[in-house]
Amino acid sequence: MNNSALHILLADDDEDDRLFFKEAIDEIKVKTIVTLLNDGVQLMLYLNQPDVVLPNVVFLDLNMPKKGGMQCLKEIRSNSKLKDLSIAIYSTSASEHDIEETFVKGANIYIKKPNDFGELKKILAEVININWQYHTSGLNKENFLLSI
Amino acid sequence: MKRKIVKLSIPYLLTTLILSIFLLVFSAAITYKQFLELTKAEKRVVQSHKVILTAQELLSTVKDAETAQRGYLLTRDTIFLVPYKDAITYSAKIITDFKKLVGNNPEKQKAIDTLDFLIHKRFDIIAASIFKKDIELPLFSVDKKSMLSRKDLVDKIRSKTNEIIKNEKMQLKIRESEHREEVHLSPLTFLYTSLFALSIFVIAFFKIKSDLFHLKLANNQLLINKRLFEHSENISNICNWCWNLEANHLTFSNNIHYMLRCEKYDFKQTVEGFSKFVHPDDQHIITNGVKEALEIYKTAIVYYRVIRKDGVICYFKSESKVIQDNFHKNIMIGVISDISEQHHNNAILEEKLFDLERTNKELLAFNHVASHDLQEPLRKIQNFISRLDANEMESLSENGRTYFSRIKVAANRMQLLIDDLLAFSRANKAEKVYELKDLNILLKISIQELAQSIEEKYATINTSALPSLNVIPFQIQQLFINIISNAIKYSKANVAPVITISSEIICGKDIIKSSFTSENKLHKITISDNGIGFDEEYAEDIFILFNRLHSDTEYYGTGIGLTICRKIVENHNGYITAEGIPNVGSRFNIYLPMTE
Repeated sequence: MNNSALHILLADDDEDDRLFFKEAIDEIKVKTIVTLLNDGVQLMLYLNQPDVVLPNVVFLDLNMPKKGGMQCLKEIRSNSKLKDLSIAIYSTSASEHDIEETFVKGANIYIKKPNDFGELKKILAEVININWQYHTSGLNKENFLLSI
Repeated sequence: MKRKIVKLSIPYLLTTLILSIFLLVFSAAITYKQFLELTKAEKRVVQSHKVILTAQELLSTVKDAETAQRGYLLTRDTIFLVPYKDAITYSAKIITDFKKLVGNNPEKQKAIDTLDFLIHKRFDIIAASIFKKDIELPLFSVDKKSMLSRKDLVDKIRSKTNEIIKNEKMQLKIRESEHREEVHLSPLTFLYTSLFALSIFVIAFFKIKSDLFHLKLANNQLLINKRLFEHSENISNICNWCWNLEANHLTFSNNIHYMLRCEKYDFKQTVEGFSKFVHPDDQHIITNGVKEALEIYKTAIVYYRVIRKDGVICYFKSESKVIQDNFHKNIMIGVISDISEQHHNNAILEEKLFDLERTNKELLAFNHVASHDLQEPLRKIQNFISRLDANEMESLSENGRTYFSRIKVAANRMQLLIDDLLAFSRANKAEKVYELKDLNILLKISIQELAQSIEEKYATINTSALPSLNVIPFQIQQLFINIISNAIKYSKANVAPVITISSEIICGKDIIKSSFTSENKLHKITISDNGIGFDEEYAEDIFILFNRLHSDTEYYGTGIGLTICRKIVENHNGYITAEGIPNVGSRFNIYLPMTE
């Protein structure tokens, strides 16, 4: 594995969203490795592989069949091996309820899927460039929801 | 008040009674005592007279004896000796009677003894002279010396007698004066006492009369109250009962007959008599209620059904408790009310509540559909549009590009609609968390969010100090945003919008148009602009969902914004009105209750 490349993982059941995500990442001038998974079950299987190299950031959709993002978040945070993963919620919904709950459950940032491709690119660039160490320590509810 | 008067009179009357009895006994005692005194005094007077008479009699007896002596000495006829002998016998008897008469008075006894001695001496001398004469004695041979001694003796007797009489007369005089005094005093005392007692009786009579009058008044009031009570029981469909637990005597007020739609003879005033009307399934409730009231000594409330005489099932509520009457006897009292109507209304309310909950659930489901399921495809459409816009425009024909821009506008409009609907459903949602917030800060945030359009339209916003209130912060922000963005949107072409926000405190009753009639103070926040305004007749319509005054081609909008505003203000127990003058401007008045 190339050390300088950023390892990014997306769990999203929507094919179009996965496509937009991949295209936007590709257009950002950062060296990345992108893993795309279709649902929560696949995500947990992937993360629980014994010899897995953990991704730098996990983008997690909330509304997925089989196993939703909320459930995955819960499992990740209660797993000693995975609990330090950086998790960005990546959802169509921006309801107060979802934001509140994911924050409480320990997500690092909340991204509302944008309507515009250009905006998507901007947001992803922003997230990728975040110094996670710093962001996590200064985490609070005001900057939890990312807005560009 | 009247009860108090009656109550106070009882000790008063008792005192009067005791006082009168005392006075009567007192006056009787005095009269009796004085009568005794009087009798005694009279006796003494009589005695004194007797003493005087006796003394005089004694003296005259002595004189009789002397006369007899003289007669004998002169005539020597023994016939004269008869009165002499009689006098001796009589005087002895008189002396004995005399001694008895004066009683234990030693002074008088002594005087009588002296008198007795003198008389005996005199009689002895007489006797001596008579018997001497029997032997031989010349008629006038009496020597002068013995004659003088005899005269002296007689004088002594006379003076002694006179002394006794004088003493007795003096005593009599004193007694008579005492007697007079007593005879004079007794009726006076008796008269005064009687008068006093009489006046007390008169006062007591008037007092009792006035008490009786008050009692009568109180009785009358009681009667009126009873009628009133019966009337109100009848109107409010309640009745009361009272159960003397010791005597096991139960009484119901008259309205029970009406409540059970039965005649007096249908209803027996006993526990069993009432239970007869209670629904068979609810009998145990009555039993338990009675038990509860007896045990806890607090008001026990039970609900149960009764079957009226006309067969209708009614819902009754009984509140009962045990109290102690004035004689410290336990009695259970209670009120029965017919709550069938409330019960019926409650059922309707419950049904409505159920409907409301269902509607709410549907609304939440709609919220979810709008927020997620509808947005999802739209977002993708917009994403694809932006992809096409960025990369593929050159390969489209002129027509294609026009159609494409139309698609873009339609998609944006749909986005706006969904966002507004979401905001509306959020404003409707029940989660109302109020915080004390400075409205100046909320307004500032709202203005910041509108910074872009303010800049584009060169809008000026004048603000003045706003109060701090208990509000749902994000909703108030939304309220400001909606009204200010409206003011910017509906501005006149080529005239930079000027928006003025001000606040004042007013009285609730000053708002004629609204439902506020309370005296409570309110904050009135006014947001006015110099825009295109609107016709006054639409002042209410603009708040109705999806109602718009302008077409999309003129002014772009969804017709939801002001509906949200009204909803938000209502969430804060407030009221919003709009005023407009075409081509001059519009003004929104927000009334919010003051935070206590």
